Amino acid sequence: MLLFRDEEHIDRWCAHWSQPRGATLTIENVWRLAQRWYSNKMNPDWRRFTPDEAQGVLTGLELTGPFWSLR
Amino acid sequence: MSDADVRVQIYRDFISTGRAPSATALAETMGVAVDEIRASLERLASTRTLALQPESREILFAAPLSAVPTPYVVHARSQSFFAPCAWDAFGIIGMLKTDGSIETSCPCCGEGMSVEVRDGAPLAHTGLVHFALPARQWWDNIVFT
Repeated sequence: MLLFRDEEHIDRWCAHWSQPRGATLTIENVWRLAQRWYSNKMNPDWRRFTPDEAQGVLTGLELTGPFWSLR
Repeated sequence: MSDADVRVQIYRDFISTGRAPSATALAETMGVAVDEIRASLERLASTRTLALQPESREILFAAPLSAVPTPYVVHARSQSFFAPCAWDAFGIIGMLKTDGSIETSCPCCGEGMSVEVRDGAPLAHTGLVHFALPARQWWDNIVFT
């Protein structure tokens, strides 16, 4: 997951490296995703999300559809 | 000593020093044999709790922290950290529940970029994070991802 200046730079990078275009998120949305994903990581009782829990985090941020499906 | 104890110690050391502890250092800190630590690290890697370097079997990633230099430098709690990717760079600040900043450069043009997070929100509103792989492939090659 790479941070680019804007859409045009993503397109240029994908073309240069012959990579298919994936999905893009704004900084605000990545921040929300990161907070939810990692906020409990330093807790001694931390455990990995179950697939349903992880999918729930994505869905909670309206990241839905085939690209965001973990299965 | 449980694997969970080792995991917690890794994060404590990482956060306090900005660097990943070696297996030897973990053994000394926790008062156990280094072979026990190495076995624990392998178990934690097998459950994708962390990732190990391919040859030395020292820590590579303990997400969102990277043990090796990357293009994502995070400043928080008077320390500097490397993050494996943009998501994890924000993840370090979110995990620490503190203010912080991220320094990187655009992978396309090399122009420097920085993002500050203060009072629970990013201050910059320009920049986009590109997820190259669909979610189901994230762990197929975590280093590429």
